[in-house]
Order: sequence, then structure tokens, then C-alpha cells
Amino acid sequence: MKLDLTLGLADRPGELVKALEPIAKNGGNIISVLHERGKRVGGVVPVSLVADFPTSESFERTIKELEAMGVSIIKSEEIIEKSHITCILIGMIDMGKVSRIEDARIINFEVLTPASKEACIKLNIEAPIQAVNKILRKLKEIAKEEKAILIPSV
Amino acid sequence: MKAILVGFGFIGRRFTEAVYRKLDIINKIDKEFRLVGIGEIDGYAYNEKGLNLEKLSSIKKLSEYPKDFIKGKTSAELIENCDADLMVEATPTNIVNGEPGLIHIEKALASGMHVVTSNKGPMVVAFRKLTDLAKRKSLELKYEATVAGAIPVFSLVRDCLQGDRILKISGILNGTSNYILSRMYFEGTSFKMALREAQERGITEADPSYDIEGIDAACKVVILANALMDRNAQFKDVERTGVRRITPEAVSLAKEAGYVIKLIGTIDEALEVAPKLIPENHPLCVHGTLNALHLETDLAGEITIVGHGAGKETVSAMMNDMISVMKAHF
Repeated sequence: MKLDLTLGLADRPGELVKALEPIAKNGGNIISVLHERGKRVGGVVPVSLVADFPTSESFERTIKELEAMGVSIIKSEEIIEKSHITCILIGMIDMGKVSRIEDARIINFEVLTPASKEACIKLNIEAPIQAVNKILRKLKEIAKEEKAILIPSV
Repeated sequence: MKAILVGFGFIGRRFTEAVYRKLDIINKIDKEFRLVGIGEIDGYAYNEKGLNLEKLSSIKKLSEYPKDFIKGKTSAELIENCDADLMVEATPTNIVNGEPGLIHIEKALASGMHVVTSNKGPMVVAFRKLTDLAKRKSLELKYEATVAGAIPVFSLVRDCLQGDRILKISGILNGTSNYILSRMYFEGTSFKMALREAQERGITEADPSYDIEGIDAACKVVILANALMDRNAQFKDVERTGVRRITPEAVSLAKEAGYVIKLIGTIDEALEVAPKLIPENHPLCVHGTLNALHLETDLAGEITIVGHGAGKETVSAMMNDMISVMKAHF
């Protein structure tokens, strides 16, 4: 899990290094660090960082250890990375079923009036990266139920 | 080296012509090389001193070959009775039971011959059985021409990616369906019209379902999975969707979004042949009758190879297989 954190550190030499130790110890991979000395308030300097933790437990352990060290947690937000899925469905599709797929947000869809009997729908879906395969499997199931063809992007 | 050829159809005749044209290369490796026998459905031609390649290149039916053609004899009899070192198998593909190619390959290996085949059927039906038999007999069984025609995918992996693990393979493995989808993409024609054009150009089977229902591509997926990813896949393991229901509307919607619809064979956790949306700038996005293979490996990363997947170019793969056997054993 990737997190956007802002820590409040005492404005003393060595505080940043100390604060990074629990993150590294718990397997957190620090992607970026921004030491914002210009935003110092009352002897506390905010440090913004993005870190990737192997599990939610490792993140929770890190937070506890930081708090035990006297570091204040100003912000802690999970970064959900999104992906876009483009696909085409050929056949009659119940769009209600598609709209109820968990974690899938339909950004837009386009239907072309068919010259043949087959309807044709282009779908753009936004979803968390981790959910993409699950959503594609669900779309495939729906297509099978409706005797339609799913053409996903590679 | 003495070689025999089984199957004197389109590919078999082209192979014979290529051997004739490339005798200078072949004779540099083995000046004793001779094509001593050819088997066909209505008989075989055999001459221990070597058949006349020039004559063979000028005939359309094996029965037109003078003197040495024996009518009514089977290719299996040729294999059993000849004293050859290598058999080239080029009979038509039968994916139901692999015959007659399967029995030809089994008999040739049992008789101590190396085998080069362009026939997918036996390699789909009995890949492990045949490769194990060849290994036990310390013989070569080469099948480059069975997948993507002239594209040297097995040679590439065997010779140039020896330390790599193949993680995923995807590709355009059937030229006919690619031709149809390309016509629909560029000309906006209907599937039926594009299929008719393909039939008029002679690039489909008499029964086009083999190409457009993804059967041919699924056979290649099975061979690739078994040969390059150490699977024990069978034809029934491939989830298959053909291109028959692709409409001009679908092609047009894809095009507007920067995609092209292609029939893609995929081997990763699952085996699949299905239409996919390929970005226009993706290396797999090749048109006409071309085939393309995209390999994802642990060391080299991504590699794409493109070329002719069927037709006369296929003999390039057969020739390379035969020359590889000659270099290794003669």
C-alpha cells in the first residue's frame, strides 16, 4: 500500500534521519521526501513523504513507533493508483450489471447503432490498479451470461 | 545425409524447390546430401541414389515423377523401408488425432530418423510423447514451421534466450484472420465481405472456421506453451473466441479510441485465443497476413518478432531445421 504522509518533526539536527528509521525497519520503501522548512510552525517542521509499505500491518506498526518517538502525524492518506480499462462489447448487454461491478467506475460509454443485429458498446472504466484483473474477469462473466463478446485492451 | 519428405502438397513442393535452389548451402555442410524419397497419398517415389530435384521442381503431382514412383504404396511403408537419416513431415494438419502425421513421426523416430515437421497436428495432439520419444532415441525433432511459419520463435528462444525464463507470450498467430481484420480496419468492410476477399485470394481453408474461429491459433498456443513454457497443455485447455462476430461498428469504435481489433493468442496463467484491442503503436499491431509474437522474459524484458506466418515462406523454417540437424550430426 502506498501512503501520502506528512510528519511534524522538531526542528533539530538528526530528527529526519531518526523519523525515517521506523519506516525502513518495517519494510517501507520511501519514494519521495520533502522537507518543508519554509512552513515551520512553533519549532515543528512538516516533512511530506510518499512511502510504499508491504502490508497495512507494517504501516500501522510504523505509525505507532513514530508516535512513540514523539513525531506527530499531520496527514496519512492511502494513495489509490487508478487505471483505465477500455473495452468493446458486441451483443445485447445489460448495462445495469456492468455498472454494479465492484470498484469499477464507468467514465463513459458509447453505443453505435448497429447495421446488423449486434449492438456494440465501447466502455471506459476507471478502477484501482489492483482491481483491474478482477473487473476484467467480471466483465467476461457478464459477456458470457449475455452471449456477448468482450474485447478488452491489452 | 539421406532425407525423405512425406507430403507433396503446397508446402512439400515448395520445400523440394527450396532444397534444389539451396543445394550450394546444403552441400557445403554435407556434399553427400540426397533427397531419396517422397511419400504422397497415392504412392511414393524412392531412389537410394537420390531423386532428381530439378525434375521434382517441375511437377505438380508426385505421380508425374518418372520411373521411381510406385503407385499404391503408403508413406508409412516408405518410412519403414527406406534407409534415411531424416524425415521431413509436411502432410496436412489434423488436430483431432494428429494423423497421418503422428504415425509418420512415430515410425520415423522409431526407425532412427531425425524429424523436421511443418505439421501442427502431431505436435498439438502428442507433444510430450513425441519429444520424449526423440529424446530417448537421441534424435532431433524440430517443429519451427508449425508456429508462425517463417518466424524463428523456437530457434530464438533455444539459441538466444538460453538463460531467460519466458513469462508470457502473446501474438497474432493466424494470417487469415489478421487479413480479414485488417481489411475491416482499413476499408470499413463487413466481416462477410472481408472473408470473401480472403477466400478469393486463396488464403483461407475450404472451411474457413479453422482460421476465423481461432482453431488454428489455439493449436499454436498449445505448441508454444508446451515448447517454451514447459506446460502440458492440450487443445481443450485453450479458451477460444473467434472473429466471426466482429462488426464494422466495433472496428470503428476501436479505431476512434486509437485501437485496432486483433485476434490474439495469449499464454500466461491461462491459455486463450480471443479478439483484443491493440493500441495502434503497439509492436503487435501488424496488418495483412503478417504474424507477430511478443515475448515477455525475466532477463531480456520484451521482444517482438514479426514475419510471414504461412505460405511459401514457411519453407525457410523447415530448411533451417534441416540444416541445424545436418550441422549437429553430419
